[in-house]
Amino acid sequence: MNDSIYEESTALHPYLDTLQQRALIVGVLGIIATIVGYFTAHEQFFRSYLLAFTFWIGLPLGSIGILMIHHVGGGTWAFSIRRLLEAGSRTLPLMFFLSLPILFLGMHELYEWTHLEVVAHDDILLHKAPYLNESFFIIRTFFYFAVWGILAFFLNRWSLQQDKTTETYPTHRLQIISGPGIVLFFLTVTMASIDWLMSLEPHWFSTIFGVIYIVGMGLMTWGFMYLVALPLSRRKPLDWLITEQRLRDLGTFMLACVMLWAYTSFSQLLIIWSANLPEEITWFITRLEGGWQYIGYGMVLFHFAVPFLFLISSTMKSKTKLLSFLAIGLIFMRLVDLYWIIAPAFTKVPAEHGPSFHSTGITLHWLDLAIPIGIGGILISLFFSQLKKRILIAQNDPRFTDLFDSDKNHG
Amino acid sequence: MSEAAKTPYKPPVPELGPGQTSYTSITEKISGIVLTRNTPVAWFIFFAIGFLLLHGLMVGVPYLLFEGVGIWGLNNPVGWGWAIINFVWWIGIGHAGTLISAVLLLFRQKWRTSINRAAEAMTIFAVLCAMQFPLLHTGRPWLACYWLLPYPNSMDIWPQFRSPLIWDVFAVSTYLTVSLVFWFVGLVPDFASMRDRTKNRIGQVIYGMLSLGWRGSAIHWERYEMASLLLAGLSTPLVLSVHSVVSFDFAVALIPGWHTTIFPPYFVAGAIYAGFAMVLTLMIPMRMIYGLEDFINERHLNNMAKVMLASGMIVAYGYFMEQLIAWYSASTYEGFMMQNRMHGPYSAYYFFLILCNIVVPQLLWIRYFRTNMFWLFFVCQFINVGMWLERFIIVVTSLHRDFMPSSWDMFHPTIWDITIYVGTIGLFTVLFFLFIRGVPMISLHEIRTLLVSKDHK
Repeated sequence: MNDSIYEESTALHPYLDTLQQRALIVGVLGIIATIVGYFTAHEQFFRSYLLAFTFWIGLPLGSIGILMIHHVGGGTWAFSIRRLLEAGSRTLPLMFFLSLPILFLGMHELYEWTHLEVVAHDDILLHKAPYLNESFFIIRTFFYFAVWGILAFFLNRWSLQQDKTTETYPTHRLQIISGPGIVLFFLTVTMASIDWLMSLEPHWFSTIFGVIYIVGMGLMTWGFMYLVALPLSRRKPLDWLITEQRLRDLGTFMLACVMLWAYTSFSQLLIIWSANLPEEITWFITRLEGGWQYIGYGMVLFHFAVPFLFLISSTMKSKTKLLSFLAIGLIFMRLVDLYWIIAPAFTKVPAEHGPSFHSTGITLHWLDLAIPIGIGGILISLFFSQLKKRILIAQNDPRFTDLFDSDKNHG
Repeated sequence: MSEAAKTPYKPPVPELGPGQTSYTSITEKISGIVLTRNTPVAWFIFFAIGFLLLHGLMVGVPYLLFEGVGIWGLNNPVGWGWAIINFVWWIGIGHAGTLISAVLLLFRQKWRTSINRAAEAMTIFAVLCAMQFPLLHTGRPWLACYWLLPYPNSMDIWPQFRSPLIWDVFAVSTYLTVSLVFWFVGLVPDFASMRDRTKNRIGQVIYGMLSLGWRGSAIHWERYEMASLLLAGLSTPLVLSVHSVVSFDFAVALIPGWHTTIFPPYFVAGAIYAGFAMVLTLMIPMRMIYGLEDFINERHLNNMAKVMLASGMIVAYGYFMEQLIAWYSASTYEGFMMQNRMHGPYSAYYFFLILCNIVVPQLLWIRYFRTNMFWLFFVCQFINVGMWLERFIIVVTSLHRDFMPSSWDMFHPTIWDITIYVGTIGLFTVLFFLFIRGVPMISLHEIRTLLVSKDHK
C-alpha cells in the first residue's frame, strides 16, 4: 500500500510542478509591482503590505489550527486533506520573513503609537505605552512566530514519523501537543490581531476582535483547501479518499465559518452600536461613511447572505464547480473584510482638538491588489513545492485505519 | 528517545459495552427500568429530596405574589438580583441537551445516542425552571403576556422592540417549543415499543396515545429520519442564539462589566460548560443506580469531559479578554470595575469563581480525571457552583458600585431569594425523576443502531 501511494504521489509531481510554476510567475510579477510601488508610492506601500500580510498569514495559521483540531477531535474529513494542511503549515517561515519589513521598515508609517511626540500628549496612549511600544511589539511578533513555528514543526515531524513506523506513539504525541497547542494558538493569534490590526486605531478596543480574525482565517483556509482538494479528488492517490461526501464536508465547514463570522461580526456591531459610547462607536463611524459603508453592505451580502444561501442547501453543496466559485469568492471577501478594517484607519479627517473619526472617503490603490497577488503567488508556489515533499496520504495512523474500516462497511 | 516517551495511541472503547449483544438485551434492560414494580430505593430517596425542595417554590411563590418582589434582596443600584442570575444559570444548563441532540447528530457522533434522551429532558426541565424567574420578577405574572408579547391593542402600546428582554421572550419560547418537539418526535418510536411491551392496560392506553399510531413501517421510519434531521437543523442555531440573546441582556447596556463584545460567544461557551457539568451530575448517579455501565462507559465520560474542558477554556479566554481589554481600553470605568471585582467587597467570590471555573477543571487535561467517575463528579460540582457564581459576579459586582458613588450599596439576598431558587432545584429534580420512571431514559431505537455497526465489524 505504501509503495503504490508513493508511486502515485510521485506521478502527481508534474501536475503540481505546473501549478507551482504558474503561481511563481504570478508571484514574481506581483513582487516586481510591489517593488515598483515601494519606490513610487511609499506612503501607501505599507498600508497595502499590511493588508497582504494579515491576509495571507491566514493560510499557514489556519492550517496549523485546523490540524490541531483534527488531532484532538478526530473525524473522517481531515484524513483526506491532512497532507494539504501540513503543506500549508510549512509555508509559515515565508510569512515570518515577510513580517520583517513591517517590524523594521513600516512600523512608523502604520502605527500612530510609535510616534513618541503623539504619545506624550495623549493620556490613553501613555497608559498603553507599556504594551504598545516598538521593542515590545517586535518581541511579541517574534514570540508569536516562535510558538507557531514550534507547533508547525512538531505537527509535521511526528506526522512524518508515523509514516515510517507501525508503532502508534507519534499519533499519541500529536494528540498530546494539540490540546495545549490550541490554547496557545488562540491566545497568540488573538494578541497578534490586537497588535497588527486593532492598534492601527490605538484608542479603539473590542474583546471579540481576535475571535473574528481567527474565524476569518479558518474560512480562508477551508476555501483554499477546497480549491486544492477538488482537482486532487480526480487524480490518484487521493481520488478514493476525497470523496463527494468529503468535499461536501469541506463545504459544511465553510458554511460554519461563514455563519460564525456573521455571528461574531454582527454581535460586535450590535453591542457597540446600541451602547453608542464615544470610545467605541468611532471605529464604526469611520467605516460607515464616505463610501466605506458600501463595502460594509457588500460584505453583508457576499461575505454572508449569498454564500450562506448556497451552502445551506446540500444539493448546491454537491455542485463542485459552483462551490469552487464560492470558495474563490469567499477568499476574496476575506481580503475585502481586512481592507475594510485596515484602509479606513488612514482616511481620517485631521482634527485640531482630540481624536478624529470622520473619514475623508473611500480610497483604493493599485497596490491593494498588487501586493496580495505578489505575496499570494509566492506563498502558493511554496505550498505546492511543500506538497510534493511527502506522500499525499499519511500512513499508519491508527485512527485512520479504524475509520477506513468502518467506511468500507457502510459502503 | 526513552521508552516512556513512546506511549502508544490508545483507541477509544466502543460506544456499547460488552454486556449488550442483542436487540432483546438492550430493549429489556432499558424498558425494564420503566416497566417494573421494583423501583430502586435510591429513586424514592432522590424523589423525596426533590419533592421536599419543591416546597420552597410552593411557599415562596404565593408569598412573593402576595407581597411583591420587595421580599427579595433587591435595592437601588442592584435592581437585578438572584432572579436574573438563576434565569441565566438554568437557561445555560439547558444548552448541553441541545448541543448533544442537534450538533452532535449533525457531526455524526455516535456516542451521543446513550445520553441524548436524558440530556434533552434535562434541557426542557431546565428551561421550565428558568422561565419561572422572568415571570415572577414581573411581580404580577398574570399580566406578563400583556407586557411581553407583542400584540396590537386599542391603546397602541407595543413592547419596546429595541430591548433585548423582548428578544429573550422570543428566544426562550422558541427554544422551549423546538426542544419539546424534538424530544417528543424522538420518543414516538420508543413509546410504541413501550406500548407493545407493557402488560398494564392503563400503560397500554397512555403509551398508545403518545405513540401516535406508530407501527414501525418503512415509510414511518423514512419520515421520522427526515423530521429528526430537520429538527436538528432547526435546533443548531438555537444553541448559539438563545444564550447570545441572554448575553445581549447585559452587553447592549453600557454598564462596565456588562458591556463588552466578547459576551455572546463567551456566554454560549459558558452555557455548554454548565450544561455538560449538569448532564454528568445527573448521569453518573443514574448509571450507578440503574447499572447502565454498558451504555454510559469510559468513552462517554471521556468525551463529555473533553467538551467540558474545551468550553471551559473558551470561558477562560473570555475572562482573559475582559481583564486584558479592561486595562488596554484605558477607560476609567472599565478599569475601576475590574479593580472592584478583584479587590472590592466581592473579591472572595471572584477568586472562588476562578478556582471553580478555571483552576479545578484543569484536572480534566489528565485522562484519569476524565474517566474516573468520582473525580469527574467532583469537578462537575465545582463547575455547577462556579457557573452560578459567574453570573452573580457579572450581575452584582457591575451594579453595586455604579457611576455615582453616592448610590453605592451592597447586595444581600434574603431568605426568599434562597427559598425560590432552591424550590426550582426541587422542581427540576422532581421532573427529572418522574421522567426516569415514566419514559425510557435512553433512546431504544437509536442505541439499537450501535449494535448494527458492531455486527458489521
